[in-house]
Amino acid sequence: MDEKNALTDTQLADLATKNPEAFGLLMERYQEPLFHYIRRITQLPADDIEDLLQEIFIKIYQKLNEYDSALKFSSWAYRIAHNHVIDYFRRVSARPQTNMLEDYEWEKIIHSGIHIEKDIVNKDCVEKIKICIQNLPMNYREVLILRFVEENDYEEIMDILRKPKGSVATLIARGKKILIEKMKENNINCF
Amino acid sequence: MKNLIQDTLNKIKKEHIAPEPRWKFLARKFGAWAALGLIVLLGAVSISVVYYLLSQLDWDMPEFMHQNIFIYGLSVFPYFWSILLGIFIVAAFLSVRKTETGYRFGGLKIISLTIAGIFIIGFIMSAIGFDARFNRVMMRDVPYYAQHTITKETQWMQPEKGFLAGTIRSVSGDELAINDLNGLDWDVQLDNETLVRPSADISQGQMIKIIGTKNGAHNFRANEIRPWVGQGTMGSGQYRDRMNSNGK
Repeated sequence: MDEKNALTDTQLADLATKNPEAFGLLMERYQEPLFHYIRRITQLPADDIEDLLQEIFIKIYQKLNEYDSALKFSSWAYRIAHNHVIDYFRRVSARPQTNMLEDYEWEKIIHSGIHIEKDIVNKDCVEKIKICIQNLPMNYREVLILRFVEENDYEEIMDILRKPKGSVATLIARGKKILIEKMKENNINCF
Repeated sequence: MKNLIQDTLNKIKKEHIAPEPRWKFLARKFGAWAALGLIVLLGAVSISVVYYLLSQLDWDMPEFMHQNIFIYGLSVFPYFWSILLGIFIVAAFLSVRKTETGYRFGGLKIISLTIAGIFIIGFIMSAIGFDARFNRVMMRDVPYYAQHTITKETQWMQPEKGFLAGTIRSVSGDELAINDLNGLDWDVQLDNETLVRPSADISQGQMIKIIGTKNGAHNFRANEIRPWVGQGTMGSGQYRDRMNSNGK
């Protein structure tokens, strides 16, 4: 098992096509990150997230032969997760919400949108800003989460969302701009 | 968190879930590239036929028709092929985006490379004469295509407007007997004012273009005679004055 732990994601993916047990190791590596990613972009309770995650892992397993090692395995896995979540919400005709972020995660987004010179004055401000972020369109919200909470670089976001770099940069810039505008509209000036 | 990993592995084993075979993904991948190749090829055919249709027209005709060159251009423009070309460029763009790594390229880059590819292949098609052959097949075999395509033939078969083209059946003094492109016979009169372009060969069996006036059902007075191919200014580099002065 230790030998297997030393393998890269790509090597494990290759091995998993022949031996499902090796896929267990890949799941071990991605269980936590994918769980939190899904939690951040949806409003679902933990049980539902786990169900979704199982479906995602099975999808990843079925598509293992499609994986191209030119891409980071993590980006590819996140892409499958992203598409599956979108499909899920399309299926249940519901709009994903974003109020499942932890306070430190909200603050990461807030800091990205505003040039902060002082610490956020009070919790009330954070609550108001959360509402503004929740009201952002899904595509802006998700890209802000990927960039500032998941801390992915542009290349990774590009591979996850299958969008050109320019579009990713535009989404991030517009998302931040809309966030600031919403804060101005709501007279939020806590800094 | 429940034991998700073990549950998933159990499910995989219990339901005999297996990775999909690699050939399926490869077929999809190469299918997307093949579709792109086909679209670019069709775009190249379109651009080569557009070029062919425009290049074979005589662009000094508006002078004789007392028409603005821009209006004339609009009237002879090959809209059908141009619209198809536009559709193929858009389809190529979408097709690139459908490929595995297509999202990595910016829109401008995809459009520029697609257009460059279409032009290069179209140029090669024109150079080997594929455009003319393809257009000929379309004219012959595709219903309504011939009626709606402005070609050199339709351009020069407008006797009412003063344009006639055909093959010389006989030459007799100042009169030519012509069999036009629709198979009708015409008597064409020439006079001292008739300009015969330098490389126009006024002899039996030669194809010529005539600018003049229709005098009757099968009578035409020629003001100018050109060879079928080109404007006939090549050769001596000078206009010949009169047909008679050349001893024809």
